[in-house]
Order: sequence, then C-alpha cells, then structure tokens
Amino acid sequence: MNGPALAIPVPAQRESQMVVAAEAQGEFAALVHEHQAMVYSIALHYLRSRESAEEVAQEVFLQLYRQQQRFAGPAHVAAWLRRVTCNRAIDYVRHRRFEPQVSLADCPEPAVVAAQESAGSDPMLRERLRQMVGSLPEKARAVVILRYQEDLDPEEIARTLEMPVRTVKSHLQRSLALLRQKLGRLLGEDAV
Amino acid sequence: MNRFEDELRNALQRERPPEGFAARVLARAAAEPKPAGAWDRLKDWFRMPVVARAALAGALCLLVVAGVQYQQRQRLERIRGEAAKQQLLLALRVTGSNLRAVHDKVRELSASYSDAQ
Repeated sequence: MNGPALAIPVPAQRESQMVVAAEAQGEFAALVHEHQAMVYSIALHYLRSRESAEEVAQEVFLQLYRQQQRFAGPAHVAAWLRRVTCNRAIDYVRHRRFEPQVSLADCPEPAVVAAQESAGSDPMLRERLRQMVGSLPEKARAVVILRYQEDLDPEEIARTLEMPVRTVKSHLQRSLALLRQKLGRLLGEDAV
Repeated sequence: MNRFEDELRNALQRERPPEGFAARVLARAAAEPKPAGAWDRLKDWFRMPVVARAALAGALCLLVVAGVQYQQRQRLERIRGEAAKQQLLLALRVTGSNLRAVHDKVRELSASYSDAQ
C-alpha cells in the first residue's frame, strides 16, 4: 500500500533561486539552438576538422554560459559569438600546432553529393575552395569566412576582429587574388 | 558580385553541427558550477574565517584613514600656498608705493635744481 507522498518543503528563497536558474538554462538553451550552426560553421571552415570544430564551438558556448553576459539584443549576442569563435579558433591553431586533417566523416555522403550536383554547384570545386580558404593565413582566413559565410561587410568584420577597416579590405583583396590564382592553376585559366 | 565570389559563398555555407551537439553543450553547462550572484557573494563574505574578515576590514580601515590624511595634507598645502601668495602681493604693493614716493622726490628735487640754475 502506498502511503502519502513525501513532500519535502523548499524554502521560498531557494525556490525562487531554482526558478531563476531554470529560466537562465532555458534562455541559454535557446541561444545554443539559434546560433549553433553559425558558431560550428565558423570553427569548421577555420579549422577544417569536425572534431576540432565541435570542441571549439562547445567551448564558445560554455564561455557564454560562464560569463552570463547581459546582451543589449540578439545582434549583440551574434556579434559576441562570432568574435569569440574566431579568437578561439585562432588560439586553437596557435597553441596546438594544429594541422587540419580530413577524416572519413568529412567526406560527403553520396546522397548529399547528388543533391548538391542537382543544385547546380560542383561539390569538388566547393571542397577545393574550402581547402584553399583553410590554407590562408590566420587573420585573412577569419576575414574571408566572416565575409562569405556570414555575409558581413568590411566595417562589421573590422568591429568583430578588432582591426582597422583598411586592413580588412586589404586582407580580402589579397585573399581573393590568392584564391583565384590557386584555383586558376588548379583548373586551368579558363575554368574560373 | 562575380561568379568566383558566388562560388566562395556557396562553398562557405553554414553547416548543421553533428547530431546531439546542443544536448552535449547543455549537459556540459549543467555540470558547470553555477556563476555566483550578488546574494551568493554576500553569503560568501559571512562564510569567510573571522581572521580573514578582520584582516580585510582592517585593510579597508587603513585605506580610509590614509585617504583622509592625504586629503588633509592637500588642504593644508593649499592654505599655506594661499597665505604665501597674499604675503607676496602685500610686499609687492609696499615696494610699489615706496618706489612711487622715491620717484616723486627725485622729480621734485630735479625741478628745484633746474629752477635754481
């Protein structure tokens, strides 16, 4: 026979603390779901390794959780996440003498390749471009990723990476010239 | 926008993270110690050993006393400076009136000398 359920009294203050903690967890979960693709993709395009990208992306979100920052709005959160992800990816490469590895998981599934081909884009070319972006110098790589993945203009990139706008523009010009040159050599001049 | 930049944009499209990524992040966050709020910090103060609390309070008192002394010294310096300035102005005024008297006397003597000639 079941007796009456044991109700453990929770003090009012403790209860309100629990409610606040649950709300904070809920907000944090919403932020993770909203920005996970952005943070993970910046790290992935920078590091060219899914394992390392996940490691960096997790650390970025944990930093957000630890700091419990109060943000002025959604745009502020996104800008903060972009900045921290770029900085963490750069540190990751510097401190671990990181060399990108291509694992089996990085190879697209045949079904995905077929879908991409039907969308009119050459998956081999895309992969080559990603590899070449991954081989750019560290700051230039971050600039190119923020420009073409995140579609930021040079002023926004300058604010994110805390560098002058002129430097951003020069990184972009030099990187594009370099990428064009490399791709041209690879595919033949008339292919680009 | 040219074709090359379009290809680059295509190549660098956002990708979905691996399955369960968000769940892994949330699990790690849940395992983290909670960040201390203002109330927790206040409680931590009362949890500190008496010696540490006394040392901290003593250091704060010393800081306040040193600050007050510094302020007083600054005030005294200002008062002394002001007094020295007033004295200097008075001395200049006295010297000026003496010079004027000497000047008048010289003019008077030179006038009487030229009359005598």
